[in-house]
Amino acid sequence: MGLTGLDIFKQLPKTNCKDCGQATCLAFAMQIAAGKAGLDGCPHVSSAAKEALEAASAPPVALVKIGTGEKEIQLGNETVLFRHDKRFEHPTAITISVNDTEDVAAKVQAVNKLVFDRVGMLFSVNMVAVINASGDAAKFADAVKTAQENTEFPLALCTEDAAAMGAALEVAGSKKPLIYAATAANYEAMAELAKKYECPLAVKGADINELADLSEKVSALGCKQLILDSGAREVNKMLADQTQIRRLAINKRFRPFGYPTIAIVTSEDPVQAVLDASVYISKYAGVVVLSTADPAEILPLITLRLNIYTDPQKPIAVESKLYAVGEPGPDAPVFVTTNFSLTYFCVQGDVEAARIPAYILPVDSDGTSVLTAWAAGKLTPDSITELIKKSGIEDKVNHKKLILPGGVAVLSGKLAEISGWEVLVGPYDSGGIPSFLKQRWV
Amino acid sequence: VSQTSVDPLFKKIKVELPEPSLTDSMDDIERLKMAVRKETGIENLRVSLNTVSNIPGILRKEKWKVTVSLADVLGYTEIAAVESGWDYQKYYGLAIDIGTTTIVVNLVDLESGQTIAQKGSYNQQAVYGDDIISRIVHATEEKNGMEDLRNAVLKSLNELISQLASENHIDINVINYAVCAGNTTMVHLFLGIDPKYIRLEPYTPAINIPEPIRAEEVGLQICKTAWVYCIPGIASYVGGDITSGAQVIGIDKTEKVTLFIDVGTNGEMVLGNQDWLMACACSAGPAFEGGGIKCGMRAMRGAIERLDVISDTLDVEYSTVGGAKPVGVCGSGLIDCIAGMHKAGIIDRTGQFSSNLTNQRIRNGDDGPEYVIVSKENSGNGQDIALSEVDIKNLIRSKGAVFAGIRTMLRKMDLPIEIIEEIIIAGGFGRHISIKDAISIGLLPDAEFEKYKYIGNSSVKGAKMVLLSKTARDEAVQLATKMTYLELSIGNDFMDEYVSALFIPHTDMTLFPSLSE
Repeated sequence: MGLTGLDIFKQLPKTNCKDCGQATCLAFAMQIAAGKAGLDGCPHVSSAAKEALEAASAPPVALVKIGTGEKEIQLGNETVLFRHDKRFEHPTAITISVNDTEDVAAKVQAVNKLVFDRVGMLFSVNMVAVINASGDAAKFADAVKTAQENTEFPLALCTEDAAAMGAALEVAGSKKPLIYAATAANYEAMAELAKKYECPLAVKGADINELADLSEKVSALGCKQLILDSGAREVNKMLADQTQIRRLAINKRFRPFGYPTIAIVTSEDPVQAVLDASVYISKYAGVVVLSTADPAEILPLITLRLNIYTDPQKPIAVESKLYAVGEPGPDAPVFVTTNFSLTYFCVQGDVEAARIPAYILPVDSDGTSVLTAWAAGKLTPDSITELIKKSGIEDKVNHKKLILPGGVAVLSGKLAEISGWEVLVGPYDSGGIPSFLKQRWV
Repeated sequence: VSQTSVDPLFKKIKVELPEPSLTDSMDDIERLKMAVRKETGIENLRVSLNTVSNIPGILRKEKWKVTVSLADVLGYTEIAAVESGWDYQKYYGLAIDIGTTTIVVNLVDLESGQTIAQKGSYNQQAVYGDDIISRIVHATEEKNGMEDLRNAVLKSLNELISQLASENHIDINVINYAVCAGNTTMVHLFLGIDPKYIRLEPYTPAINIPEPIRAEEVGLQICKTAWVYCIPGIASYVGGDITSGAQVIGIDKTEKVTLFIDVGTNGEMVLGNQDWLMACACSAGPAFEGGGIKCGMRAMRGAIERLDVISDTLDVEYSTVGGAKPVGVCGSGLIDCIAGMHKAGIIDRTGQFSSNLTNQRIRNGDDGPEYVIVSKENSGNGQDIALSEVDIKNLIRSKGAVFAGIRTMLRKMDLPIEIIEEIIIAGGFGRHISIKDAISIGLLPDAEFEKYKYIGNSSVKGAKMVLLSKTARDEAVQLATKMTYLELSIGNDFMDEYVSALFIPHTDMTLFPSLSE
């Protein structure tokens, strides 16, 4: 278990000097507890306190970096088993593999194109894994060279042959690729290479017990940037292992499992492969490796990853857009409200109860209620007018009449002036909508 | 209530200066300062030009015996006036609570520390809006809006001060210091500071810790050179009135984890003890002050303050403030009423009226079903006193916000509700808030009754405490500085807790073990 705000607060200097950017020491302690600030934000904390806190507040899952520069991947620092408990921190690195027996340049160029626009932002895959399928060290090094020349994504170098790995690292070692993998048979040589090139090292056990053993040994050799592979390849086994690793790391502070994981998708059937990868993205995998570069297979995974790793600490809100209740015609009434979901569903329910098809326009108030939004200046004649324009309601109805919540009647004058719409002040409570419509609309 | 010795922010002391000679030709002011320093030990003394101008004559008139007025200004002490001789006029101060709705002024004899008289009235800003938000909107969006509001509160205050002065036969010029406690918006409007950004994200006031200002500059009609000091606030919606209350209860001086709640429109609360303090405002709304409830009213004459619903007949037994005929229900009565209606099965846990109960007291009104508490034949104003479903939902939202505020603060600190050792309630409930009923509707945590205390208007009490003690003033600043403000609109915690609290008493019955027994 992590430290509570109060535990951390006890160790702080209690000067309330604001040098950390927070108003009080307690506020700073709560930020640390929530993982939103680091102890180094406070210039006055004593070294004794630092020691006490750092040991206790060390992340249960280490932060591991792969690659360099703009496309560097950060994994780990996870603190929860369920996203709603706090949030998932670092999105799974989606990795596409290429064998050194195929046309590496062509495949890598296809991978480069896996960039998608979601909610106005660009998202892509993160890494290319080069696999020594040929078993030939020179061929492997050659493939790594070709891959590196054709992409800016970080690489994972996949061979259990230490000599082949050594040859590949001579080509790519300076760009901090992921070394995959140290096994019971080769871990000493692999750890040597990882230390020499200061690269992250994947550790692969035959099962979860061997993995724990190996992780401890490699760590004792001085490698602290590790990625864990329990050896499982079937989705049910993988789910069990991923869960165990995350649980032990967080709940039991079991250090050998305090690293991000890698999950390798082996199914030949593309639908099954995508489904397996979906499970891994939802369940704790740091890296997911697929062999496909087909955009139709990657897009759903990119989307799922974006959704799962979205910060859930956001207000409960509906999307701010035009909603239809029933099948409204051009004469239908138009209601204005806010996008706080409790507010929106109250209005929607009461409009439905009136049995008159209608439109609802919830203004984006960051998920606050009508009066709260009014108080905070988020429900204004300007914001309503903007939504009218943006929503396309002007093309849907043949009138220009808006119904405003009774609680914000004061907005009606300015709103009519700015929007050019006639503003009817509706009832204070949405429960009054049915009778309001009967008296004032029909 | 913690006690502090009388060491007021304004006082008069008698001193005798050593007469100058050819071997001691120090200037008059330095001579005066040295004597004051020797008498009081105060190092940082300042003198205004006004005082210096006539000093040579004053010092010499009664052979170097003088009475010196000392006003404490944050960081230094001002020699505010010097009188010849040791016979001096009495001197007074004011402790003021600037409430959004009500203003209270205490006239305090600064020598004895006694309150001579107290007066209250409505804040005349009300014509520009009942709540602080409407007033901020008026101040920032209307032409001369700021002046309207400043003048309104000054008019209310100056009327009270002039009445207090004339009724007690004292000159307003001997009122030499004023300490005010008010919420952040009230302080901004009183001092004429732009309040615009208080209500806009990320909710930043212009100032939390105002310096003392001359009465003349503020527009307060007391001695022109008197200082006016506003008790420091914490954030946009937790102001000096709460610092003041927190200081009165001594929340920063006890080991006991204490919860201090002002059950008012803003719903401010403070949690903590000598080690740590946290504050938030849960915006409960005015329901428990009678606002937004059809039959609701303040705890005035004729307000039903206690109430029992008889389970089998659904009849009502009640008592009113002053024993008068009932004209409405105040906060404590509303709490009893919901508790009773729920117990009798008139409403379910969501506040909805039961559809299978028929009784002459239950009928359909303009706002849907309602329960008649007192029929017009028996009421004091010839009208039915009834509580409708809309009223009940409104009250449930208010009580839900208060409870959610408490839970969110505990959650932020990972503390269980049992950690709270003392719960102190302030607010305009009347004298008889029933803790039992407040718990049974889920307004207050299910703790032993002995943990609860009701304190009344703690804001003006704190202002008086500060007026009478430099130590208390310094502690108030400390208290405000170390209180951590929790912004409830960030994250989902408050919203989750709020939604869970929109039931009687709560969705999670394990939080109310005494109710399931």
